[in-house]
Amino acid sequence: MQWKPAATLALIPVAAIIAPAIAHAKIYVSVEDTQKRLFPGEKLVQTPVALTEAQRERMRELSSVREPFRGERVWRTAKGDWFIVDEVVGKHEMVKYALAIHADGTIKGIEIMEYVESYGYEVGEASWRNQFVGKTGASTLKLNKDIQNISGATLSCKHLTDGVKRLMVMHDLVLKGLK
Amino acid sequence: MRRFIHKAACAGALLATMGSLHAGEGTFGWLYTLDLQRKGTWEFEQRLQYNRGQAGGTYDFWQARTEVEYGVNENFQLAGYLNTSFTNAYRNYPATDEFPNGETGGWGVAYPGDGHYRKWRVEGVSLEGIYRLTNPVIDPVGVGLYGELTLGTVKDEFEARLLLQSNFLDDKLVLASNLVAAVEKVKFVNGETGPESMFDVLFGATYRFANNWTAGMEARYHNDYYGYRYQTHTQRAWFVGPNVHYAEKDWWVTAAWRYQPTGGKCWAPNDGECSGRRVWDSHTRNEFIVKFGMPF
Repeated sequence: MQWKPAATLALIPVAAIIAPAIAHAKIYVSVEDTQKRLFPGEKLVQTPVALTEAQRERMRELSSVREPFRGERVWRTAKGDWFIVDEVVGKHEMVKYALAIHADGTIKGIEIMEYVESYGYEVGEASWRNQFVGKTGASTLKLNKDIQNISGATLSCKHLTDGVKRLMVMHDLVLKGLK
Repeated sequence: MRRFIHKAACAGALLATMGSLHAGEGTFGWLYTLDLQRKGTWEFEQRLQYNRGQAGGTYDFWQARTEVEYGVNENFQLAGYLNTSFTNAYRNYPATDEFPNGETGGWGVAYPGDGHYRKWRVEGVSLEGIYRLTNPVIDPVGVGLYGELTLGTVKDEFEARLLLQSNFLDDKLVLASNLVAAVEKVKFVNGETGPESMFDVLFGATYRFANNWTAGMEARYHNDYYGYRYQTHTQRAWFVGPNVHYAEKDWWVTAAWRYQPTGGKCWAPNDGECSGRRVWDSHTRNEFIVKFGMPF
């Protein structure tokens, strides 16, 4: 066996040098910093929720998200607003985000906390995230329906939209009944 | 005529072997999916395929493809690539009256004989385009059309594919299939040309079992024909094997292996291209591929 490498193989190290230099940076924001962005000056108290299998199934049914939700990632303000951290499937890794919900059940805002992908960083821009503001658990929350897609970031847009839907379903099923 | 058909069948087999690059990030070894380059973005991709083992003796066929992809718009991708290969063969075909100790032949061997044959060559260049009609991320079935034109020293070829893909389980499970049809003009060393055509069905599944990682299986049902219009069925074979893929935001790599089980058949007069119910030419018992991509 003998392999005579093609001259074109020499392009590999060239690409190896160039690609990282022009690749996108990561997004990484801590829970504390995200809380300060969404609830500046407010104190949040961690309020873990224990979901029943029936509740999880309902959340899965209405959002199509199958990744398990971690119930300890829920916080509450003194005014009754909610701060929830969740993860959805990204192109290569999980996309971590936070959702803020007013006490009246309307979305206050969404922040992208961790995003490490080749493309699609526009999901972190306010112009896309602001589409969710004011929506409720009764909203459709479906990509290309009441949430517009970003070309080239379809998978991230779809999963984040479905993830927000799941959290709003959880809010209606569980959180809004908590005293 | 015997040698002509022999060569034509060999080239047809190569046609099938070569028409298997991957669009965008390649989670499969040989199957195309509908993961296209984003509008205005580029990707460099290097592929190395190794086909090993025929009826006997030694047969190693290495094929390198160096590719650059570009996203013209969200649903249309163009790519161009350079094809090179290296052949190392020695008495890899069964014995014949002419070569009682085994024949040195198969794809990449310019003249049949019974001695050692080694040659590296630049085979040509290819241009491909993929148009995505529906997106499997948001539609139940993703559908795409693929066209590839190859111009080279050993053949000119046009290949068309219907790309099908469905995603499940948060897009972690991908089922995909390609229906492949191709015609080619084979170029022989004596200046003659010959018509060939091919029909393949590729199908497989991959599952993302951890962040950055997918693994799965893929298979190929392969058919070669003599003539541009599928006039004479010359060859049929199956291939099946696993794949594994790792990706980060700045690069990805895929490795896959396909094994040719028994059940293949040849109809060409030169039976050296088949033995033990397997098909040879450019095909082997085992095919390995490694692909490396860098978006930028």
